[in-house]
Formats: sequence, C-alpha cells, structure tokens
Amino acid sequence: MPPAKAAKGEYIETDTGNKISRRSQIHGTQHIILGGKTVIQAEAVIRGDLFRTATLPTSTDPNNPSAPATPSPSTPSVAITVGRYSYISKSAILRPPSRLHRGVHSFYPLKIGDHVFVGEGAVVEAASLGNHVHVGKGAAVGSMAIIKDYAYVLDGAVVPPGMVVPSWCIVGGRPARIVGEVGEGYGVEGAEGGMARERYRVVGRP
Amino acid sequence: MSRPFPYTYISCPCADTPVPDPARKQRSRESPQKSPQKPPPERANTDQDKKLSVEEEQQVVDEDEEQTFDPRSPRSNFSLYPPEQLLYCEECHQIKCPRCITEEIVSWYCPSCLFETPSSMVRSDGNRCGRNCFNCPICTAPLAVSTIENVTGNGPQQGPWVLSCGYCLWTTLDIGIKFDKPTNIRSQLQKMTDSTAPAALNRSRQASRTFGDLKHPLSSYASIDEQSNARERGGEEAAQKEDPAAPPMSTDARFAALKNFYRTQISETSNSSNDHLSSEFGFSSPGALNRLMSLYTSSSRLSGLYGGSKKPKSKPPVMREALTASEGLQVVPENNETDMIARLQSPECGWDGMASIEQRATQLPDARFVDDLLPLPVLLRTKRAKRCKSCKHILVKPETKPQSTRFRIRLIALSYIPLPTLRPLALSSSSALPAIAPTTDLNSLTPLRPIHILLTLKNHMFDPVRITLATPPVTPGHVATKVTVLSPQFEIGANSDVWDEALQGGASAPVTNDSRSAVLRGVPEAGKVWDKGRNWTTVVLEVVPGTLPGSSAEGGDGNPDTETNDEDVMAVAASRQDEDVLEIPVFVHMDWDADAQLDQGNVGKGSKPDDKVTRELAYWMVLGVGRIQPSL
Repeated sequence: MPPAKAAKGEYIETDTGNKISRRSQIHGTQHIILGGKTVIQAEAVIRGDLFRTATLPTSTDPNNPSAPATPSPSTPSVAITVGRYSYISKSAILRPPSRLHRGVHSFYPLKIGDHVFVGEGAVVEAASLGNHVHVGKGAAVGSMAIIKDYAYVLDGAVVPPGMVVPSWCIVGGRPARIVGEVGEGYGVEGAEGGMARERYRVVGRP
Repeated sequence: MSRPFPYTYISCPCADTPVPDPARKQRSRESPQKSPQKPPPERANTDQDKKLSVEEEQQVVDEDEEQTFDPRSPRSNFSLYPPEQLLYCEECHQIKCPRCITEEIVSWYCPSCLFETPSSMVRSDGNRCGRNCFNCPICTAPLAVSTIENVTGNGPQQGPWVLSCGYCLWTTLDIGIKFDKPTNIRSQLQKMTDSTAPAALNRSRQASRTFGDLKHPLSSYASIDEQSNARERGGEEAAQKEDPAAPPMSTDARFAALKNFYRTQISETSNSSNDHLSSEFGFSSPGALNRLMSLYTSSSRLSGLYGGSKKPKSKPPVMREALTASEGLQVVPENNETDMIARLQSPECGWDGMASIEQRATQLPDARFVDDLLPLPVLLRTKRAKRCKSCKHILVKPETKPQSTRFRIRLIALSYIPLPTLRPLALSSSSALPAIAPTTDLNSLTPLRPIHILLTLKNHMFDPVRITLATPPVTPGHVATKVTVLSPQFEIGANSDVWDEALQGGASAPVTNDSRSAVLRGVPEAGKVWDKGRNWTTVVLEVVPGTLPGSSAEGGDGNPDTETNDEDVMAVAASRQDEDVLEIPVFVHMDWDADAQLDQGNVGKGSKPDDKVTRELAYWMVLGVGRIQPSL
C-alpha cells in the first residue's frame, strides 16, 4: 500500500520514530501514547481528548467533546494507546469507546496493538485492537468491540458494538459476522499481515 | 478476499496429482499420458526412483513445451492460494494446500466469550455457547445483557435484565422476555421458552415407563393387534386425563417425548426374548443391535434360516404412531393457517412483522413472525489441527486455549519456499522518456508499453537456495502479454543470523534501497540480478502488456459502423470477465543442499560427502500485475 507522494516534509518524525502527518488532527496529545514507529497519515483524526474522568464523571459532555475538562494533574488518564509499527491511514478516525454505565456516560481507553493497520476512512471505537489486526478501508468498529490478535476486518464492514472477534478470524458485512479464517502464515514478516515494517519504511520518503 | 495489485498466488501441485494415494500415484507414474503436468517436486533418491525421475524429467521436458500453467483456466481457481495459506510437509517435502490436508478439532470455544467448551458438553449444548452469549435474531449482531432499571450511583445493579442488540436496537422486551439474573441466561431462556418442558417430559417418561412395566409381563400377547389395541386403550385413557390441562409442549420436549415413545415402541414390538433388556439399554448398545436384527429377521423370510429355533410369527410387528400429547403428538390447531393468513394481512403485522427467510432458517420451523424469533445462542468455533493427507503428519497444531495465538507445530510453506513480493520499478532511469511519470498505475496499464517489475524472493530457510524462474514468453489467454525474466537463474542467500548482516552493514531490506538502486543501477540489464541482500534477491521482469481484443489499439481498421463495433466490445467484455487482468504464470524451480540427518537411508545422486542432500522443489506461481487499459 504505497502512499501517494506527499509534499516534502509532510511527516514529522518523533524521537521514537513515529511518523505523523502535519495534516492529521490529533486532539488531547497528552492522553495519547504512541509506541514508536507509528504512522499517522493526513486527515486522520485521533481523539485523545475523550478520556475517562473518574472524579468528575459529568464534566465530559458527549455532545461537546471538543471542550475537554481540565485534566487533573494527579491522575493522567490515557485515552488512546497505539503499539509499534501501527499504521493509521488517511481520514481514519480513532475514538475511545464510551458506554452508559450506571446512568453515567463515560469514556474508556482505546488500546491498539503492534503492527495494526487501520484503513482509509475507517472509524475505530473499539475497546482494543490486538496485534497484527487489519481494519479495512471504510470499516467501522463499534464501541467497546474487542478485536483479538491477527483478526481481519474486511473493507466496509461494520463491527457492531460490543462484538468480540476471535484471533485469526475474518469478519465482514453489515453487521459484521465471522466469514472465514486467515491462513496460518498470516502475519509472517513480509507476507500478508506482516507488512507493517515495510509500510512504515515507505512512508514519508522523498 | 480479492487482493489489490500486485499480488502473488502459489499453485499447489496437488491439483495435478490425482489423489494422494500411493497406489494411485504408482499407476499414474506408469501411464505417462495421465501423469501430472509437473512431477512431485521432491525427487526421490533411491535407485528405482532415480530411473523413474529421469523418465519424468524427460516427460516434463516434453510436456513443458506444450503445457504451461494457465491462471485463467477454470481449474486453476482450485489450486491457487495466497502464500500464507499454504503449509509444507517435511515428510513428503511438498507444499500442502487446504485441499491436501485433513483437519482435527483440538478444542471448541465460544467466539464471543472466548471460553472453551469441553467436548463432552458440545453436543448437549447443541454446538452453541451455554453461557450468556446470544446473537440478535434480527441482524445476528451480538446481544448485550443490560438492565432496564435506571440505576445511578454505586448501588448494586438489579434486574430485570434484558438482552439488547447494539446494532439494530432489538431487545428481548420486543418478544416480552425479561430475566431475573444477569447470569446463566441460556438456562433461564430455556426455562422460559419451554416452561412446560420438564413437567411434560417427566410425565411422558413416567407414562412410558409405566407402560413398559405394565406391558412387560404381558408382552406375550397372542397377536400384535391385541397388544396395540390394549395400548391404544391405555393411551386414550392417558390422553383423556392429560389433554385438557396440558399446554402445548415446546419443540425440545416434544422431541424428547417422541424419542422416548419410539424407543419403547421398538423395544416392545421386537422379539420378547430381548425385551427385558430394553429398559436398561438404549439404542446404542449391543442389545439394541440384537433387537434390530431380530426385528428384521422375524419379519422376513430369512427368519426361517437364522431364527430357525423360533417359530415364525403370524404377523409382522406393527408399530403405531404417537397418539397422545404426552407421547409427543401435536395436533395442528384447526384454523391455524387461516389465523396465520389473517395475521399476515392485518395492518399491524405487514411486511415488517414477517420473519425473513434468513431469520427463519436459524429458528424453529414454525416461527413465522418477528415476534416468534428467539435470541440465538452463539455458535461455537473450533481450533483445528491439520495433518498431511498422504503421510498423516501433523502440519499445524494450535494451542488448545482459545485466547492463545501460538502454535505447538506450524509448518507453513513460507518457512520453506521463498516469499515472493512484487513491485513496479519506478522508471526514473529511462533516459529516452524522462518526462513520463515514474509510477505506473497498476490498475490501468497501457497496452504495448513495456514496464519493469521487480520480483523479490526472500528465503526463509537456513540454507542458500538456487532458483530458476521460467515464464511462457507470452501469457496464456486472449491478451498476449510478452514477459521476459531478465535474469532467470540466481541464488538467494541463507536466512542466517540477523547479526551477520548488521555487522557487515549490508542492506537490510529490499525496499530501503529503492531510491539508491534506481539511481545507481540504471537500466535493468539482461542476465544481471537487480539487487541482492542477505536472504533475498530481486530480479526484473520486463512486461509488455498486450492489447485487449476489440480495443482500438489492436485493430485500428476504421469501422464506419461504430455502433456495432461498440456492441462487439461490450459483448467481448461481458463474455470474458477479467480478461484485462494481467496475470503472469511463473515456474519456480528451487534446489538447495539440506542436511540429510532426517533421512539417513537416502544415499542418492544428490548426496554429498558432508551429509548434504540436494533437495528440489518446483511449483507454479501467478503474479497478478495489474489491469490493462482497454485502449491507448
């Protein structure tokens, strides 16, 4: 998946090797942990501002999330964790999952593993994406869904809220169902599911 | 899953070998006409096989000239697999595709709660999760257990509880079901849906048992008629007793009752000599076999032969059908269908009130309306071990735990065959046409304009591998694309320690030095590999995409009647779908010197003094390069 030739210096490379497009929209950076060598492409939206406020449950207004409550300095809550060599494509949206629990609407952390690929325009609200997970183009992963390691979400799939996708399974459709399994060699370096390092290398080269 | 360009598929040789059966294989070897297009890749080392292999080799040479792998042939669909799906058998030294393996279930687990179900429970649970996992009967999304009480604060949450779908917002309230506890929903649901079940079951069991007890001492009725008459009378009594009060049984209870009923029927109508066993043994006992055998022999003329000691019965035993509700009889209500039709027509039902065929397929047979649909317990999934079909060796064995992604054994083809990756060469070097955009759009290749493709083969074995590539000069099919491998013979280094490479300071991966190679290496040359690393080698394929039939580039004969011409084009396009996809069959032959410690008996032509054996592997692969533009 070679990205389009970008303008020179489109990507900012951090100390840990993250390549982040200048045109991406990242909110609440202090609540986001990137594991290093993560790629965030242009127009991707990462909502680190939607974090859990344990002490002040009502301060995070779901209707107006762009105005986050002032984070209490003692408890730095993490909204989004992304592992190494993960790749957030163009216009993808990462949003922490939320749930109405005991009458209180609160956000939960979104954990993304290593070597994860999030396709173009995908919306991820999962509770966790495991390692080597592939989320196809235009797919939507519903709130609190759990996608286990080596799972494959096909393009355009809508994973319903709360769904658990077991390892090695391919899900697709609206709502998503398990439609197959990936081969045993999935995720081997350089083969399907193991292209993360190559994807990372290609990004931002002149 | 169709893949984006460029892709590579590997053809499993099993498609050409008839059946992995030793006897069959021998036969096919003897008759050269029927023999596979490609020999079994691993050439045996015994003397006899050497002779055979020589014959085969010759034959291959003969056949190769006519037969090359055609990715468009309808049969190819069944042999082409993405590389990561293929396995490799170390005993047969062959690639194994999903068709040449057998599977064994290692464990069952629920895909929703990821709990393992013990194999003893799988059947009784109906292959479904016995806990809290349900799918929406409307849309199949998973259902969540939630409370309808609006509890705020930290008080303990309490019911009533419902199952709700987060996708289509269906809840069990729509069918009027609430649960008292948030746990063990399945058994709660079962109790609710067949509220009558346990009672009815007990009753029917009791009834049948008392029948059996009653009948047993009397089982030597003079004739069957008498027997069945007597039972009918008894049945009628029972029916009169029960029917008015008994609510209709659930399907499961009815099934159990019917099963019970037929069991007693069989035991009673069979020979009385085995009759006393019937109460202790079910169908699956040796006694049952006896009973069944005597059932058959007594009713046929053979009884004289086998059951000679007994005098033949005057009449064959007659089994009656269930007569009462306690035996599982369900009489369809009198105006059942008219009621249903009336309901269909009523405005409150309408189309939306009807269950679709897909929804009904997973429900009880008499579920017609949306209200009849019950939440579906999640179907279990399995973890499976895979064995080679011909030598029964285990190729893949996952760990039993559902959460684990590790394998105890995993012999995937990618550890043995070189991993092919494909990449168009950015033609910055073409001095003749510097203005042309360097990146080629693989989804619209221009006909007749040569492109260069870099094929990288990466070796995962710890031995260096010699590779020979071969392609037909022109791709098979209607679009004749010319293909040339610029350096068909090369070597790939061993997959040695990564530190070696790091210390040598070599290139780490093919992609990193793309720009460097494009600048430094200049024009791709015949006979020279493009680039080389520790365990990979890149070669260049020169491809001249052919013209599509019926396209303007091909004919150019200015047909005045453009309308018919267009129609022709349309017809051609319709008749040959995906004709414009450029797929190149490439024959890969690899040989390497492997350690011979595994099979020491083999001292063949390939063996070397230092215990090395030359192994060979050959297979076809298909490179999906791109789509050819319809015209210039």
